[in-house]
Amino acid sequence: MKMTKIYEGGYQWIMYGRDPNKKDNIVDTNQYIVRTANKCLLLDPGGVELFAPMLAAVLHHAPVDEITDIFASHQDPDVISSLGLWDQAVPHAKLHAPALWEGFLRHFGCESIEYVGIPDNGGIIQLDNVDLQIIPAHYLHSSANFHIYDPKAKILMSGDVGAGLEAAGGPVFVDDFDAHIENMRFFHQRWMPSNQAKRDWINRVRKLDIDIMAPQHGRIFKGDDVKRFLDWFEALQVGIAV
Amino acid sequence: MSEKNQAKSQFVAVASIAAELSAVMYVAKEISLAAANAKAIAFRAGEQAKGFQPITDFINELAKETIDLVHEINEHAFLLYQMTVDDYRRIATCDAFTRVTELSVGAPYAESLAVPREKAQQKMLACHAEFKQHVSELLDQLEGVMHPARAARVIAANSRIEASQAGDYLQSLQAVAESVDNAAQVIHDNVQRCKIALSVINISE
Repeated sequence: MKMTKIYEGGYQWIMYGRDPNKKDNIVDTNQYIVRTANKCLLLDPGGVELFAPMLAAVLHHAPVDEITDIFASHQDPDVISSLGLWDQAVPHAKLHAPALWEGFLRHFGCESIEYVGIPDNGGIIQLDNVDLQIIPAHYLHSSANFHIYDPKAKILMSGDVGAGLEAAGGPVFVDDFDAHIENMRFFHQRWMPSNQAKRDWINRVRKLDIDIMAPQHGRIFKGDDVKRFLDWFEALQVGIAV
Repeated sequence: MSEKNQAKSQFVAVASIAAELSAVMYVAKEISLAAANAKAIAFRAGEQAKGFQPITDFINELAKETIDLVHEINEHAFLLYQMTVDDYRRIATCDAFTRVTELSVGAPYAESLAVPREKAQQKMLACHAEFKQHVSELLDQLEGVMHPARAARVIAANSRIEASQAGDYLQSLQAVAESVDNAAQVIHDNVQRCKIALSVINISE
């Protein structure tokens, strides 16, 4: 599992992904952690297939008893089907996930971890002295969907928004936005159902000061590529299957 | 057999039991109906079927006993199914933790997994032991259902004798005896299949 530190400033943001041992027939995912002095938050920790390499990678940065929080942007299996295993590894942790999906997510197994349901208008996750904002991103693509914004690190973890699908082993960062568009176009047109929801999210996100936009699949956007993405996404017609 | 394959076999065994038991329940209800039918025939036959009348009460009691026992076994089988799910998850957890241990060699915090790994192992062993205990109890319960089925066959034989004294009602009462006998055989066979299904589970220590 490749590990890339994307922020260092008294605490860290680390991205894990591009696992060379991942089976070819499961979609590649990016996992993130926010590591503060005594706590560690896992963001979209991944599917059950990915649990072992993911936890093994996290153990380079945090002991299990300091993995205190897990965030699931929505209910998809590639996001959180590993929940039943995390439940055994970090039973003391809290799962921050959409309140709407609680009864569904519990099918993955959640006996010990505390399910902290996120209301539709979002909220805050506090890690030591770091406050992370939970930003609503409903219908992008899930009916109850959230992203995480860190105002200090200026990072938006954007779930499936900004996702790109390409051959295994692609670069971690977008280096040529125009060339990257074709990796993203179909994904956004087909998975994202609502232009109204898209506009609502863009209006919300344009008000945030973002240096890095970190999606759950594909490459990470930095600097001006964040604005390029928002402009491109704004102009894109989504929900094309009907 | 690996623990994971054993757990898969358990799923199949427990699911098979549920299917067999629903057939037993259906047949037991048929016996109950046959008993009510026999009672009505015996009543109409009057003196000719005097010896048959108390037999109908026995048949009815046996059917009721079987239905009650199957209810209890069904509840137990459902509990066993839940335990199978739990057992499967425990095994998957231990496998995953073993894999993490292999992959995290050299990681600064690799040792921090030792406590959760040990706990997972203990939980898995406790889960195995509890599961085996319940399988053993379920086998006893299945043996318990065999008793009324065996008794029903004896009653069916007696019914045939009594039916032979019933003159005009001979055929009707013989049909009742036949139906009880067949039902008892079906129950016996289905319960045997339940026991065979459970035999894939190793309950020895």
